[in-house]
Amino acid sequence: MDKVPATKSAKQTSSKEKSNKEKFREISVAEFFAKNKELAGFANPTRALYQTVRELVENSLDATDTHLILPEIVIRIVNRPELSGSNGSEQRFTVIVEDNGIGVPPTVMANAFGRVLFSSKYVIRQTRGMYGLGVKAAVLYGQATAGQPLKVVSATKGSSYSYMKELFIDMKKNEPRIVSEGQWRRRGSWHGTRVAITLMGDWRRAKNRILEYIKRTAIIAPYAEIIFETPDGEIYYFPRLTRKLPRPPREAKPHPHGIDLEHFKIIIKESKAKTLLELLVQEFQSVGEKTARAFLKKIGVNPNLNPKKLLRKENEELLRSIVDEMKKFEGFKPPRSDYLSPLGEDLIKLGLKRLFEPEWVEAVTRPPRAFEGNPFIVEIGMAYGGKIPPMNEPLLLRYANKIPLLYEEKEDISWKVLSSINWKLYLINFPAPLVVLVHIASTKVPYKGVGKESISEIPELEQEIKNGIQEVARRLRAYISRKMKEAETLRRITTLAKYIPEIARSLAILSKPPEKWSLPSPDEEKLIMDKMAELIATRVPTARGSDGKTQTIKAIRSIVESARTE
Amino acid sequence: MSGIPLDKVDLEARKRAAKILHEKFRKILEDILSGKAPKLEIPKRTLANTIFDKERGILVLGEQKLEREFLDMGEARRFMQTLLMASIIYQALIENEYPTIRDLYYRGKHTIIYKDPSGRTRQENTWDEQAESDSVIRDIEVFTGLLREDMLILSKEKGKVVGNLKIRSGGDVIDLSKMGHGAYSIESTPDLIDFIDWDAEFVLVVEKDAVFQQLHRVGFWRKYKAILITGAGQPDRATRRFVRRLNEELKLPVYILTDSDPYGFYIYSVYKVGSIQLSYESERLATPSAKFLGVSMTDIFGWGRKKPYLTETERRNYIIKATDADIKRAKELMKYSWFRSPGWQRELKIFLEKKAKLEIEALASKGLKFLAFKYIPEKIETGDWIE
Ligand SMILES: Nc1ncnc2c1ncn2[C@@H]1O[C@H](COP(=O)(O)OP(=O)(O)OP(=O)(O)O)[C@@H](O)[C@H]1O
Ligand SMILES: [Mg+2]
Repeated sequence: MDKVPATKSAKQTSSKEKSNKEKFREISVAEFFAKNKELAGFANPTRALYQTVRELVENSLDATDTHLILPEIVIRIVNRPELSGSNGSEQRFTVIVEDNGIGVPPTVMANAFGRVLFSSKYVIRQTRGMYGLGVKAAVLYGQATAGQPLKVVSATKGSSYSYMKELFIDMKKNEPRIVSEGQWRRRGSWHGTRVAITLMGDWRRAKNRILEYIKRTAIIAPYAEIIFETPDGEIYYFPRLTRKLPRPPREAKPHPHGIDLEHFKIIIKESKAKTLLELLVQEFQSVGEKTARAFLKKIGVNPNLNPKKLLRKENEELLRSIVDEMKKFEGFKPPRSDYLSPLGEDLIKLGLKRLFEPEWVEAVTRPPRAFEGNPFIVEIGMAYGGKIPPMNEPLLLRYANKIPLLYEEKEDISWKVLSSINWKLYLINFPAPLVVLVHIASTKVPYKGVGKESISEIPELEQEIKNGIQEVARRLRAYISRKMKEAETLRRITTLAKYIPEIARSLAILSKPPEKWSLPSPDEEKLIMDKMAELIATRVPTARGSDGKTQTIKAIRSIVESARTE
Repeated sequence: MSGIPLDKVDLEARKRAAKILHEKFRKILEDILSGKAPKLEIPKRTLANTIFDKERGILVLGEQKLEREFLDMGEARRFMQTLLMASIIYQALIENEYPTIRDLYYRGKHTIIYKDPSGRTRQENTWDEQAESDSVIRDIEVFTGLLREDMLILSKEKGKVVGNLKIRSGGDVIDLSKMGHGAYSIESTPDLIDFIDWDAEFVLVVEKDAVFQQLHRVGFWRKYKAILITGAGQPDRATRRFVRRLNEELKLPVYILTDSDPYGFYIYSVYKVGSIQLSYESERLATPSAKFLGVSMTDIFGWGRKKPYLTETERRNYIIKATDADIKRAKELMKYSWFRSPGWQRELKIFLEKKAKLEIEALASKGLKFLAFKYIPEKIETGDWIE
């Protein structure tokens, strides 16, 4: 704190001085995010309610499907009138999310929920969470707007107890302040986590987004069972459609292309490797002994060098050049992608089918690629027609590591790619009933912000998204063109076939000679009708192959049989 | 109808028409049964395919034909309509009926209800307007070479005739000089009429029914031994055929009296050479030797040494100003090859110059006796007509 000046005149001068003098102090990361709520997606009560649901649901899914557990997730938003302002404008809600996941060990529970930047996901592995911030940002917002602590109950898979904690975050110190805790014998075999956060929210405005978010989560995770209870007492139930889980992600070592100086130093410090060669082989992915030798030979560094020596001051130059060369060296295999967890074509199609009931759906999982040493896989799904309403542009569903992204659509790389597609080439004229799903799976998703709403324009990513969309769009074109041809055939057949009964009757009459006149019998008419059906089937070109003619005759017959005159 | 005994002429006509229809359309069925795409080859009824045959002085159809193929998406409906209409006409012939074109329209008009491949129920009328079914009848006429009269199809009777002429029709003998103030309606099937006895020197056809009545009451035809006819405006086919038969079989000259305007001129040409729309029937309906008696432009305004029939004052009172439509029509007529004669070019030129027209009634107003006993006989006598 500044000293208060004693005299009046001094006071006057000091206020001038004050404006010239910068004041310095340090704040904790908790305080930082408490002050800059919008950075984490908590800009206003509407966004905050939405973001809270998101953070909790994503943690729950990370605690289940990543560990091969079929997710069962219950989401409830409860109105808290007793905490709300008298005029009803500033409403408070409690968001409760319960899962059947792996649970949080009691020892880390307080930190996991009460210390900003504390996470189990700071490893090279494809998970929804990655910053160690999500749930804490919600707690910070909650305690600032509703003054209520977070409450968490959790049981890990093996443990015989369930643990409960209620806590605030001490903003200054960035550490949990526990207000109550408890533990009890686990009931049955339940394991999982139940988190409750109370905050100021605007349900009326957030409702559609939250519903949309849950729906899109159900699209991408059709193996999950999701129940959502709204403050209005409505219940949305998304049953599980399949028991097939995507292969779980696995933790990988860093890839040499993705390394930087500081990162390399930490690796050297923590490694038990005796030689540089050993270090490269043990601590990095995609580096075998042969490759490592070739690399060191190329840059002229002794493979038997003790890596710890590189940390010495005099070797700083050498260390930097090794890192630079590592990033450039072409001999390393690309980062391993088999540790990624793409959804797979079947699950994407299943999810799209359930929500849109389209007439056509296709999906593709593209081959893995990498940017800056991070492997990634792009997946594209497309649904067309059916119950999808025609729209002026394709409906884009964006996902990253299985998280639906709803906000900041126009800033997203997928949007950029999608708007560059010339749909006319694929026989689509808008308004059209078209949904495009883009999923990016990576050990590092290049979000534009920690709110995880849009993805940056990485050229490798952009190219892959484009390739994927084009690949599926080509299949869509084939489908549409076949359909158009079939429709054209049917239209032609119908144009002709509807006249068959009338013509057959007329010809039957005209073919009776005047001298021996009698009204023709139904059999005579039938014979002419059959011949005409056959004639149309032979002469009108069909889109289908060899079974085309029989199909056509069938279609003609059914038109003829349905025809009557009045 | 089948219980009533029909006369022989009628039965013969039916047999002939039915046979032709049967032969023509049986071929279509044969094509279908042998897997060939069925088609009707029909001469085109368009202005481009209408030719003025100078030698015979009539309009005829040219060589152009259209192929109406069932498998052609654009023609399928018309193909169906043609067969439907043919079968109705055929059945009516066999069952001794006399349908009118309106009857044919109603008999064939029904709704086809069917389910399209998507299962939706749709419906379509075989035809909607009578214009559509009438046009199909015309197609059948050119396709079979049978006129509707040949197929015993009746149309509204418009034409009237009186004069010293006895005919037999439907077994009755009728004396056309004993019609009182009325007249004999020219029946739809004039070919079934027999001329038994006559005492006449020419045929006078007047465009307008009112003028016909006036001339009839004033005793014009008796005095000049004429057969007096009106088609009441644009003549129907029966009237034209009747006039043609009088000319051809009784060898009577035919004079035609119309309004003095392009519309009247065209009516004259319909009697004489045929109409564009129905040029296919000219061979049997047109009377190439028919003469335009008046009212001509030179009758009104005079020409060279010819004095006008109207005085200056009368002209002022009776003449009507031509409309834009009249002028446009006159310009079209000037281009038709059957209006190329010097007489007609002169008429049309005067018309375009004076932009004036005159109704025949005006001459009757000047005095019915003037019209009946001066104007008409004088013009015939002096050969003051146009061809
Ligand atoms: N439902 C849960 N089940 C099991 N563990 C959980 C659950 N919720 C949170 N955790 C643990 O708490 C940690 C912190 O969660 P938090 O949401 O704050 O960060 P994160 O998920 O790691 O990263 P991000 O900020 O990207 O969400 C997680 O890493 C996880 O280990
Ligand atoms: Mg998280």
